[in-house]
Amino acid sequence: MNNVRRYGRGALVVIAVLVVWEFLGQFELIARGALPAPSQILRQFWQDRSDYPPHLSVTLKSAGTGFLIGNIIAIFSGALSARFRFAETLLRGIGVTMFAVPLIAIVPVLLLAFSGTIPRIVLAAMASYFPTYVATLNGMRNIDPRLVDVVMVAGGTSNDVLRWVRLRSALPHIVSAFRVTAPAALLGTLLVEFGGGTRWGLGSYLLGSLGQANPSRLWSIGLAATAVAASAYMLFAFLGNRLTRTSLSATVQTTIAPSTNSGPWWKRLLGVGVSVSVVLGVWAGVLKILDMSPIVAKSPLAVFRYLTVGVRAAASRTRLFDAYSETLPVAFIGLLCGLLAALLLAVLLSLRPTLGRTVLPFALISQTMPLPALTPLIVLIFGRDFLATVVVCISVTFFPSFVTITQALASTSPAAIDVVRVSGGGRFKTLRFVGLPGAVPALVTAARLAAPRALLGVMIAEYLATGNGLGNLLNESRGKLDYGMIWTVATTSVLVAVVITQLIGLVERLVDRRV
Amino acid sequence: MAGGALRVNDVERTFALKDDVVRALDKVSLDVPVGSLVALIGPSGCGKSTLLRLLAGLEQPDGGSLLIGDKSPEEMRLAGRLGVAFQDPALLPWRSVWKNITLPLQVMGKSVKDHEAAIKELISLVGLDGFEHALPGQLSGGMRQRAAIARALVTEPDVLLLDEPFGALDEILRRTMNLELQRIWLARRPTTILVTHAIEEAIFLADKVAVMSARPGRIVEVVEVPFARPRDPAILRTPEFHALSDHLSELLFSGGGH
Repeated sequence: MNNVRRYGRGALVVIAVLVVWEFLGQFELIARGALPAPSQILRQFWQDRSDYPPHLSVTLKSAGTGFLIGNIIAIFSGALSARFRFAETLLRGIGVTMFAVPLIAIVPVLLLAFSGTIPRIVLAAMASYFPTYVATLNGMRNIDPRLVDVVMVAGGTSNDVLRWVRLRSALPHIVSAFRVTAPAALLGTLLVEFGGGTRWGLGSYLLGSLGQANPSRLWSIGLAATAVAASAYMLFAFLGNRLTRTSLSATVQTTIAPSTNSGPWWKRLLGVGVSVSVVLGVWAGVLKILDMSPIVAKSPLAVFRYLTVGVRAAASRTRLFDAYSETLPVAFIGLLCGLLAALLLAVLLSLRPTLGRTVLPFALISQTMPLPALTPLIVLIFGRDFLATVVVCISVTFFPSFVTITQALASTSPAAIDVVRVSGGGRFKTLRFVGLPGAVPALVTAARLAAPRALLGVMIAEYLATGNGLGNLLNESRGKLDYGMIWTVATTSVLVAVVITQLIGLVERLVDRRV
Repeated sequence: MAGGALRVNDVERTFALKDDVVRALDKVSLDVPVGSLVALIGPSGCGKSTLLRLLAGLEQPDGGSLLIGDKSPEEMRLAGRLGVAFQDPALLPWRSVWKNITLPLQVMGKSVKDHEAAIKELISLVGLDGFEHALPGQLSGGMRQRAAIARALVTEPDVLLLDEPFGALDEILRRTMNLELQRIWLARRPTTILVTHAIEEAIFLADKVAVMSARPGRIVEVVEVPFARPRDPAILRTPEFHALSDHLSELLFSGGGH
């Protein structure tokens, strides 16, 4: 298809969507006006135009600083891990934690520990860390071994290989990770602004507009945040394409190339022990450095005591358990629905490829839409209950799963497809006999990637809207200055997310071995 | 050229697999006089490339010794006195032809500026004039291989190690490249080991052809090639060439070959 026709088609689809949306909005057909028409949103945006610059500049400054810091640390630790095995072992726990941490659970802790814009910067940095770390590590490790030989034969050392080959090889991977970490940094900043109760920032603006019964303003702020995230995404996609001169896949690697996964069981157990100790050590170390009061800041040991021998340990345990028994089932259902939706769309698109070019841009935009901005919009439409939570959950788990599954379907061996086609099979048969069975491991991988996001999505919805579960427990504890519970929720939610992803990772390895 | 003869003495190399040990090289001995070109042929998996990696100082033998003059391959490697070219040209895709060729100098910490004239001459020698600023992705397979050979020669190495440098090229291009390689080699005359699985290529280029057996690899016989240099492709049709070729075939297919 030539470019003119392709862009023409794209433009047509966009116009069609806008027309339908306008119609739905003007006649208040969706949830009694919860979805305003584009023209109404634009009018609101124009009215509020002087509000945006001060809010936006604060948000961008925090997100940008956090993005920079998080990525620099990630690249540095990635390079260190690629160069030294023991560094990878030491940093593995940090990486897994950063990947699995439900960011919202950390917000109250950060607000206790720091003041001003520092919590926003820290959370933005944390949100940026993992994808860049993995991209750096994998980009530096998966290089053509012949290139290493060339440098070594010229009298080089491992440091020369790092300097001349590995750094540059990893560059396109790193830049493509920026596509994900830039919106993630914005998400981190917005989350803190939501919880922080400060005057300036896009998140504060949104929070302040929640009670105004003005859907157009909520949408306008949400779309502004999306525009920022999407521009950052496109900027880095453009740079990445320039670097590789071929289009990079829309996903980011999320598995660290196995090196410590192998070996005898005691060695692996030792690795886990090291990882956990490092994380606990960093936690205790940071508290020590900040010199915080033990009443506000809880060490790992203090959290443990809070749940075991503290004055209200039993009551705390009950509250925690109740919260989890509300949150986890919803997250699980949301995850399943998200995966199912992703699988359905991926299959549909593999049968009708032209449809993909039309749907993908919308899926991409939904991906960059910051979760805190998205949640109020979903709540507007679906109400403040179970359904809204599941929809939030689907919307955060859908895209990464979709990309992962689509890639697996697309990477079906051409020879295997030919075998089916020579036997008289069409696209459907190809999918049934070759594509789908090949996509099973991808489905498991997608589940692993999406699981922490599902938990985060549910917690955000609970925190902002439904008043259930863990998100609500976090909110309540802040109100009651129950510092022990704040730290306990943060700790246990990280722990739960890590355990769930590791369990799915276990299944993933079993499935991979079988296929 | 300075440096020294290659002396491989009873070299052994084994690889540990999961629950098995593979003997890749079994007491291999080989002498390559200074300034000569020795071809190493053998069935695939016989350990030719392993031997080459040992000579490049990239791996260590489990037994026996390798000497280049009076130095170990490791010492030669760290001194930057070796050049290698592989079947895969292994060019850095983000670097131009010029910058790929200067890479070994940069790794050694030498000034590229001081060598500019020599690099230009080298680029002419391998026939890449005008392509200095092209990226590897813009070159044909043969041109990439020329760039890789220029890179191997840029440090004026005492020893040149070629691991099936034309193995990935088609037959016609391969013959042209063999002629080119002869011309380039005669201009510099580094002590050279050429690993190949093509009998014709081995006879056409080498002073001596060493035949290796299938795993565990050992040298079955070293055959002298009597043709004077420079050699013309016409020798490929002489009875002497055919006799030599038949002899080598016999060694390959009976001497433990598959």
